[in-house]
Amino acid sequence: MTATTPSAPLGDDVGRDLVRGVCETLGAAADTLGDLDRRAGDGDFGTNIRTALALVDENIAADDPQTYRQWLTALFMGWLGVGGTSGPLFGMFFRDLARAADDAPPTAAQLAEALAAGQATVQRYGEAEVGDKTMIDALEPAVTALRGALEDGREAADALRAAEEAAVQGARSTARITARRGRASYVGDASQGVIDPGAAAVALVIGAARAAVAGGGSPDTSWIA
Amino acid sequence: MRRSIVNDPGDLVPEALEGLVLSHPRLLALQETHRLVTRRERARDKVGLVSGGGSGHEPLHAGFVGRGMLDVAVSGAVFASPTALQVLEGTKAADAGRGVVQIVKNYTGDVLNFRIAGEISGDDAIETEIVLVDDDLATDTGDERGPGRRGTAATVVVEKVCGAAAEEGADLQQVAAVGRRVASAARTMSLALEAGTHPGDSAPQFTLGEDEVELGVGIHGERAARRVPFRDADALTDLLLDPLLAELGLARGDQVLAIVNGLGSAYPLELQLVARRLHHRLADAGIAIDRSLVGSYVTSLDMHGVSLTLVPLDDELRRLWDAPVRTPALTW
Repeated sequence: MTATTPSAPLGDDVGRDLVRGVCETLGAAADTLGDLDRRAGDGDFGTNIRTALALVDENIAADDPQTYRQWLTALFMGWLGVGGTSGPLFGMFFRDLARAADDAPPTAAQLAEALAAGQATVQRYGEAEVGDKTMIDALEPAVTALRGALEDGREAADALRAAEEAAVQGARSTARITARRGRASYVGDASQGVIDPGAAAVALVIGAARAAVAGGGSPDTSWIA
Repeated sequence: MRRSIVNDPGDLVPEALEGLVLSHPRLLALQETHRLVTRRERARDKVGLVSGGGSGHEPLHAGFVGRGMLDVAVSGAVFASPTALQVLEGTKAADAGRGVVQIVKNYTGDVLNFRIAGEISGDDAIETEIVLVDDDLATDTGDERGPGRRGTAATVVVEKVCGAAAEEGADLQQVAAVGRRVASAARTMSLALEAGTHPGDSAPQFTLGEDEVELGVGIHGERAARRVPFRDADALTDLLLDPLLAELGLARGDQVLAIVNGLGSAYPLELQLVARRLHHRLADAGIAIDRSLVGSYVTSLDMHGVSLTLVPLDDELRRLWDAPVRTPALTW
């Protein structure tokens, strides 16, 4: 593993590793996330994850992506092909990640700005704020932590680890929230004590990004239950 | 116990679309992957029109694809929005170089997926405008932060006048503007004597007592805010008409387009009784029903019910309504 500064491009294979990592991590967690959604939501998240990942696989097989943007495009187009609300929101979030850079891999700073753009897009469409028990509860602290760590001069993998930790902490905090927006708002108080599956999935995505940049180390999923 | 004429319920939508397109080989074509029904011959040099939504509302939307109306209809599963990817492909298919108007019934999932598709189609340099249809008076809560009124039968009028304007050569902004004008002026009220049943299910989506009527139903089998005593056809019609007249503030001498719409299993004789009462009432009030449509156009599976839509008419809307149209469900 080589240390990468905020202004240096991430590794050539970061797009491939990121997409494969996101798919493996979310695929392995689909049952657990689906179970959370059954307890505090409409119950379709696990199915939607599996549908999205199958579409991503189809896109990869059909398009044979080479560049960072091509890999991320296969990812975001797959997510736009599923129902529910979280599928299209994740799709638009990944689209912003795809736009982090042109065909060359992004720098850590560009990735941070793309994550921030993704957060803004999700908020624009989902109209959610921090504390609403949605994806944003993991995404906002992750973006803040990543930007802060890069400004402090920490190298890319280290900064992404800080983002992952902040995202996990943010996702876990959703268990204490009664939903006001999004999937869990329909069940009201029944969402108390249950981690929001969208926020948990965001934390896993940030973890997969950290693993892709660091060159290994699958995200911990033991905290999701 | 309710039964349906289905094969595998999971294949219902694609098989039904196939049946529709096979029945209208000179009008329609099917793009199976994204469940798009398109015109057999793509229009050229005009603003494109795409609409769509969950299935179960037939003949909306695919039945209104053809000259003078839609270019493309996108079908989701029963009562579920099509995906953003489907709408994106539908928007691209509708584009003939002058931009695309997306006609969207106001439901959270549909609005989200059409907005996303509109944003992404910008990557392909396709300009889009959304016309949101939100005519359902029963869901007019006045809450600005709420989801707003639902879109129901006025969608037919919006698709018709936008289609005619596009055919006349109007530009993207003009087509969208006339659609928005109809959407903001039109109001609909609906009632049901019996809910619809999901294909493959044995029970309807809700049950009513013999002496009960669900007033203010939508088109997805959701419960309404009010349940009122059953009464005869004239009095049922009044239940729909009174709040519409109060809302629209129509005056003696005004002209309207009226749609008496069956919600799935109301039969034509029933709809004609509603039309009869409507004509008598409006004649008494000095309001002219200048154009009307009586039939099942925007349905909710096999819901036994009726909706009444009124749209104030002016010369431009009348001209666009009268313009030629050639689709499976509307032709003149």
